[in-house]
Amino acid sequence: MTSPPVGERRGIFTPELLDRCISCGFCLPACPTYGLTGEETSSPRGRINLMRAIETGQLAVDDPTVVEESSFCLGCRACEPVCPAGVQYGALLEEWRDELWRPERRPWRLRALLWAVDARARVRLMGVARRHAKGAGEGAEPASLMLGCFERALYPRVSRSARELDPSLAAPPAQGCCGALHAHNGELERGNALARELGEALPGTIVTTSGGCSAHLASVLGPERVKELSQWLAGRGSTVDEPATGARPRIGFQDSCHARNGLGVGKEPRELIATVGEYVELPSAAACCGAAGTYAILRPEDSARVLDRHLDEIADADLDVLAVANPGCYRQLQQGIKRRRLRTKVLHLAELLADADRIVSHRSA
Amino acid sequence: MSPLLRAARAPGSGLARRLEEIVGSAHVREDAGALLTFSTDATPLERGDPDCVVFPATTEEVAEVLTVANERRIPVVPRGSGTNLSGGTVPHHGGIVLVLTRMNALKEVSSDDLVAVCEPGVRTIELAQAAAAERMLFPPDPGSQTTATLGGNVAECSGGLRALKYGITRDYVLGVEAVLATGEVVRTGGRLVKDVAGYDLSRLLCGSEGTLAVMTELTLRLLPAPEASGTGMAYFPDLADAARAVSRVLASGVLPVTLEFLDQVCIGTVEDYARIGLDTAAGALLIFGQDGDQRSIDADLARMAGACEAEGATQVRIAGSPAEASEVLEARRAALPSLSRLEPLTLLEDATVPRSRIAEMVEYIQEVARRHELKIGTFGHAGDGNLHPTVVLDPADAGAVRRAHVAFAEIFARAIDLGGTITGEHGVGMVKLKYMERQHGPEYLALLRRIKAAFDPNGILNPGKLGS
Ligand SMILES: Cc1cc2nc3c(=O)[nH]c(=O)nc-3n(C[C@H](O)[C@H](O)[C@H](O)COP(=O)(O)OP(=O)(O)OC[C@H]3O[C@@H](n4cnc5c(N)ncnc54)[C@H](O)[C@@H]3O)c2cc1C
Ligand code: SF4
Ligand code: SF4
Repeated sequence: MTSPPVGERRGIFTPELLDRCISCGFCLPACPTYGLTGEETSSPRGRINLMRAIETGQLAVDDPTVVEESSFCLGCRACEPVCPAGVQYGALLEEWRDELWRPERRPWRLRALLWAVDARARVRLMGVARRHAKGAGEGAEPASLMLGCFERALYPRVSRSARELDPSLAAPPAQGCCGALHAHNGELERGNALARELGEALPGTIVTTSGGCSAHLASVLGPERVKELSQWLAGRGSTVDEPATGARPRIGFQDSCHARNGLGVGKEPRELIATVGEYVELPSAAACCGAAGTYAILRPEDSARVLDRHLDEIADADLDVLAVANPGCYRQLQQGIKRRRLRTKVLHLAELLADADRIVSHRSA
Repeated sequence: MSPLLRAARAPGSGLARRLEEIVGSAHVREDAGALLTFSTDATPLERGDPDCVVFPATTEEVAEVLTVANERRIPVVPRGSGTNLSGGTVPHHGGIVLVLTRMNALKEVSSDDLVAVCEPGVRTIELAQAAAAERMLFPPDPGSQTTATLGGNVAECSGGLRALKYGITRDYVLGVEAVLATGEVVRTGGRLVKDVAGYDLSRLLCGSEGTLAVMTELTLRLLPAPEASGTGMAYFPDLADAARAVSRVLASGVLPVTLEFLDQVCIGTVEDYARIGLDTAAGALLIFGQDGDQRSIDADLARMAGACEAEGATQVRIAGSPAEASEVLEARRAALPSLSRLEPLTLLEDATVPRSRIAEMVEYIQEVARRHELKIGTFGHAGDGNLHPTVVLDPADAGAVRRAHVAFAEIFARAIDLGGTITGEHGVGMVKLKYMERQHGPEYLALLRRIKAAFDPNGILNPGKLGS
């Protein structure tokens, strides 16, 4: 056996994280970007080999292929549950972007986004005009609803629905961003600090309506402190509205990558949906829809290519509703469905459950 | 780099440009980052730097690429998903990595002829699922089936968990379309179970490890799917007891579909990792299974349980439901994941001995581990003698790496002495070429070289491996 070139480690990656990969390749078929190109270079194993090469200095940190692959990666973490060696790819990607996307190398669109959510006041401003949920909780043990940053501006009805489903949740408006956006885009330290700040601002269990936020918060504050909405509802045996009478609506679901691959949430939303309609499992339900945090904004074309398969399946299944569990997926699927002129309505799981009494099937046949 | 290659790549030779004319510019890569990701496969510690990577889509493109490479004497390394464990796709001599995953059409699954026809880039699981949808079975099921390609399976002649009852990949290859190193396209065999017109070249290509020809279409045999399957497990004080139980099972007229074992080291490691309630005091765990119709499954499982008890099993359990069966199999599934978590480097081998020598061999492996102060867990296929002694260590510890190499040399030597082989299913590749002479003798190796020369006169296909 010949040994690999062993250089000094450059300290970009935590050695225990980077050494874990045994190069078995089991992650290849799970990776959406490998699915698009069929090339090892854009697979999880390929990217880990690139990381190893920059760590040992075999490739320059700003080698064009290295830069391209760090941003082509969706960060969906579909490579984690299939990995026999327990590689924490999401954590490696954060360290990679932390090194690579230093402020001066960061795409300008990203700079604008990070700026917008960096201060509590700005985040708060995004929400006020849109009537997101507010109010003190009514429960015995304290639990708070996280309002999110972009979600409170784009989809304020989500938080209102969540509080309708569980009025015991407090929703103080003076809360900032959870820092996921920072952590996933090259500002790991700031991202973790924002999560800790939020942890101090919100009392009790933090319930989120965004899979990406819940996984980031859980990684900083610990999984006991944080619950993704469907986990929270399932855990409390909450009952939802009586479904509408008439034909049961056909409802599909788009997993939030980080809720599924980071927190193992998958069963809960499906079971909740099945209480209000006919649940239809789309073949790619668990695969990334291409929204992937800032990805849809930074790489719109690749994002649309990732989405295509999902839209095909939604059309084939002739769904009444597609439920989502993350604001990014919400926007991505809403826009895609509109472009294709499909009849399916996109709703957040919270909205779906809160409005179950008004949702009926409009199937033609 | 060979002098020939250097000449070929002298400025102006435009190898990549020429290849782009054949496959299109989107399907050739020569950037440093891409080359790096094709310099390795699943084999630890092996790497070689290719000069470019090519992704052909058709047999004609493969033939043209090989013609160009042959004219210029440039090494070509065929590659599927790169999951092999013997350095089979590592381009030690540089040259072209020829990736066949774009050729992934599953052309036909015929229940009338019980055959499937596909391109080499189809993954094993895709064929297995397509066959299952038509109530047929493609039996070879290597542990890597979700990722590995059928081209890679045939080129390595891969095994799997069901080998004792159903055989291995070679038993399911009826016909092959292949491109020789010269660019000539040949077809061997066909869709028939009986066909003796000519040398059995399909079999020769099985396990040829990309050194004789590039396979571009496979005609594979299917079986009617069994109705159901069932599973059980038994603990033994000692691996020798488990081995005797296996002999007793087979002597009783049962041919089980599964007979897997874990040694004591593996039981402990799996339990530490998965916490599934294994008996860590036991010396061996045997997992057995049968498929077929429900009545014969029940009868066979009962007979296997009886055989285990008769040989001193301390605890026997038959899974009552698919969920329980999955629990039982979890111990085996977790073997590699749990071992690989102990240290950064995992060396997984596949020395194989006649079934009757398993206990002796595993005892020897433990003795080697003690002597070289290494952690070696052994699991494997009790039905066919295929063992997976797995060493875990820290590659920064150069002493440990050296001791591991010595340990494996000893293990391979003992396997050969016991009438076994240095590799049951992972292939010779780069890693085990040096042990071939000891197993086969010089005349055999000379014959391999003459066969290789007949297929590949200039030695461009996967040089430095079988037949070189
Ligand atoms: C965790 C793990 C578990 C495994 N379990 C098993 C197991 O249970 N049983 C088993 O037998 N193996 C096992 N393997 C080994 C490996 O997965 C198999 O050898 C598999 O068949 C390789 O397929 P591939 O597509 O990855 O081929 P590659 O690794 O890409 O190639 C393997 C060889 O085939 C050649 N080749 C590939 N395609 C072609 C083609 N079209 N024409 C000519 N030559 C070609 C290559 O040159 C190379 O020599 C395992 C590997 C791992 C990492
Ligand atoms: S599955 Fe895990 S160990 Fe295997 S190559 Fe992918 S990241 Fe590495
Ligand atoms: S995070 Fe998603 S896109 Fe990135 S390597 Fe893993 S599976 Fe592929």
